[in-house]
Amino acid sequence: MWQEVSLDFIFLLSIFLPFLTAIFLFLNKKLFNELMTNFFTLNAALLSFAIAAYSFVVLALNKFNGVNIELFQWISNPDISIGFTLDGLSGIMLILVTGLSFVIQLFSTSYMEKDENYSNYFIYFNFFVFSMLLLVMSSNFLVMFFGWELVGLSSYLLISFWSKKPAAAKAGNKAFVINRVGDFGFLIGLMIILDNFNTFDFYKILNNSNEVSENTITLISLFLLLGAFGKSAQFPLFSWLPDAMEGPTPASALIHAATMVTAGVFMLVRISPLLQHSNLASLLITVFGLITALLAAFSAINQYDIKKVLAYSTISQLGFMFIAIGAGAYVAAIFHLVTHAFFKALLFLGAGAVIHSMHHEQDIRKMGGLRKQMPITASMMGVGTLAISGIPPLAGFWSKDEILASVFANGGIYYIFWALTLGAAFLTAFYMGRHWLLIFEKDNGFEHSDINEAPKAMTRPLLLLGIFSIFIGFINTPFFHGLEKVLHVNLENVEVTHLPEGITLVVLAVLSIGAGFTGLIIAFLFFGIELHKRIDLQKFKLEYPINLIKDLSFNVLYLNKFGNLFFVSGMKNLTRKVAVVVDGMLIDGSVNFVSTAFNKTSKITSTTQTGMVRNYVVYFGLFLLLLIVLFIATPMVQS
Amino acid sequence: MFEAFLFFAPASLIILGALIVIFAKNPVHNAMGLVMTLVSLAIIYITLNATFVAMVQMLVYAGAVMTLFLFVIMMIGVDKKEQTTDSIKGQTFLVSGVFLILISLLVYVAVSSDFKWDLWFPPVEYDVEGTPQLIAGTLFTAWIFPFEIISILLIVATAAAIALAYDTKKRNSNA
Amino acid sequence: MTRRKEIAMLEVTTDWYLSLAAILFTIGFLGMMIRKNALIMFMCIELMLNAVNLTFISASKHFGQIEGQVFVFFVLVVAAAEVVVGLAIIVSIFRKQSSASVDVLNVARG
Repeated sequence: MWQEVSLDFIFLLSIFLPFLTAIFLFLNKKLFNELMTNFFTLNAALLSFAIAAYSFVVLALNKFNGVNIELFQWISNPDISIGFTLDGLSGIMLILVTGLSFVIQLFSTSYMEKDENYSNYFIYFNFFVFSMLLLVMSSNFLVMFFGWELVGLSSYLLISFWSKKPAAAKAGNKAFVINRVGDFGFLIGLMIILDNFNTFDFYKILNNSNEVSENTITLISLFLLLGAFGKSAQFPLFSWLPDAMEGPTPASALIHAATMVTAGVFMLVRISPLLQHSNLASLLITVFGLITALLAAFSAINQYDIKKVLAYSTISQLGFMFIAIGAGAYVAAIFHLVTHAFFKALLFLGAGAVIHSMHHEQDIRKMGGLRKQMPITASMMGVGTLAISGIPPLAGFWSKDEILASVFANGGIYYIFWALTLGAAFLTAFYMGRHWLLIFEKDNGFEHSDINEAPKAMTRPLLLLGIFSIFIGFINTPFFHGLEKVLHVNLENVEVTHLPEGITLVVLAVLSIGAGFTGLIIAFLFFGIELHKRIDLQKFKLEYPINLIKDLSFNVLYLNKFGNLFFVSGMKNLTRKVAVVVDGMLIDGSVNFVSTAFNKTSKITSTTQTGMVRNYVVYFGLFLLLLIVLFIATPMVQS
Repeated sequence: MFEAFLFFAPASLIILGALIVIFAKNPVHNAMGLVMTLVSLAIIYITLNATFVAMVQMLVYAGAVMTLFLFVIMMIGVDKKEQTTDSIKGQTFLVSGVFLILISLLVYVAVSSDFKWDLWFPPVEYDVEGTPQLIAGTLFTAWIFPFEIISILLIVATAAAIALAYDTKKRNSNA
Repeated sequence: MTRRKEIAMLEVTTDWYLSLAAILFTIGFLGMMIRKNALIMFMCIELMLNAVNLTFISASKHFGQIEGQVFVFFVLVVAAAEVVVGLAIIVSIFRKQSSASVDVLNVARG
């Protein structure tokens, strides 16, 4: 009994605690110094995580049957209410978000120290955690939309945190606007849903998904997909994410690695009972995910900013998740979401540690050989690199392999998709290897004697995340389907693509491991022992292609420039034309015309006021005549 | 026959007087013409059985008002001969236009009804004598309210006249 | 026979008086338009007012009601008051300028 009572609302506490912390910190902004802020926010985050873990355990004991809490009903017809739900899917996200929030806040206390807007950072951070929890714990589309919008806002606030830098402010704007384009699609999808299902509640919609025609479902899915593209930085709405690296690194770690960008993936898995009915949508998801994965991986191989490599890597890995969703492997997508959260956060925090120690130098060409000076950071980032490359038994291998196997299992055109995804995995290993080697191994001859290891508040989170990156993969291996059990209630009515059995699975696994290893080895050849400097490349006529690849990769295939020119400048021209023609000439012109017309007519009519009495007499006579005429002309009624 | 004579004689005097008013050059002639019109009108009132009104008209109008006019004429100056045809721009045109329209309208109305006015209501057979008793009976019972207002109007007019005339006198006396 | 016809034709009915009033009114109005001496314009106003009085009296006879003559009283009083005030104004204007013409009073021009 006490189980039921406490489970009912205690997870709500976990959601609202970050919000209360944000408000509390906001009200006491001037009173608290850094120590007090740390105290409150870290304790609140820890408490949040503890409650989340407890709720999850209770949920697990309850065999993952979900709990739905409706706070109040807003409108009865159509049925719109405010409510939250705790089931397998939202439970995973809950502990992920709260846990990472605690770890990253711990890191931030050291990274952001002596910043002049210290408390603002934590206020925005907590507000973001609250919005993300709103999004994942929602029981209907309305609350999810609230959370959706609020994470966009928090992301903007955190990206443009150092608002005095113009690049940061621009990046914040860009993120918000591109998100908005996605939200437009999301909103239209919501309207279509409301029109067809007459409710926003997830359970009602997903249980009645058979009643609506496939065309409508495709339409809904396409619009919601647009929203997911904006939030999860898929092609074509991805260019905000690399620019978002202007924000503080821990914020990037949480938002642009682990949580906000995964909101799109989460949303699609949430509506998976609906999505499975539409083949077109699933195909589109896979295709766009594939394009994104390849494009981002290609762009990452020649980036020079330490964080931009990680940003493109995130986009690429999100592409992997989308591929999984499109192929029907919803469990694999969530699995990759979880593992990616850990090792990407680890990589970002490690990059933050490096940046901090290098006194905010971010160009990796200027680093090198830092392994000796920053051993813990180097080893943990090495763990992260191996994890993302898919080297067993680290976490990334299990999730990436599951994705690849599921894609393969679909057959037909999906064989080609599988091959391309394998190529993307190879590229992933390559650029991550390059990243690690350039920072830590290769000695560029720069003077690095004054670089020390990062402070303990930074290395401890790194160690924690590193351990998780190693072991988290075991929650869903082919031998122990832990995650599947967690999500089985959510995916009851869904056709999940199952992994191929037996020898196929082994061969696929070997191939994916091979891709990872090959990538790392080639990276080692190029950047470790510098093979290209020892072999005369002109013999193989490889110089021109390599330079071309380098150039295209760095400029992201010139997509950003094209987008700027076409959309931004184009819109500016269009709006200027509209402002001048429509607003200036038409509207202002017509209003001014009315007033000038009045002026002119009044001047004309005022010439009758001559001031001469005799003229007035004449007017009197004229109107008298008029009256007489009227009198004669109108027929009178005889009483 | 006698009635017709009683109508036409004063009527022609009236019209003659009116024409004198508008066409004479000497202001005193104008005033005399007006007096002639007013007296003839009083005669016509008598033929219409409005005896009391006729007497009042003679007293007030022809007596008091015309005297006032003559006083002012004397004050302003009689020996001035002013031009009547000093017209304003376009005045002749407007005036002749109005005149023409008016005449044509009257002619049209007269012809279209064969010189007979369709008065819509037939005249009553009995005569009502305009005796003072009858007029007083109506004036002081049914029409008492306008009567009071008229008296107020008279007082106001008197006060206004005094106010208008007083300032200039004071200025003149000071200067 | 013809004599009786003459008498019948020459019966003075109400419309004769009304036509006389109309003619008087028209003459008064024309006079207002033509003359520019303020005093004379006033006399023309008096003509018009008298025409109205005649109309009222003849209507009173036509309908057999006394109200017409009562109303003539009111018109008479109003006319008298108006003459008083108007002449006072004319006198004060004449003191300012030595001409009695109304054409110089065109300050209220548009």
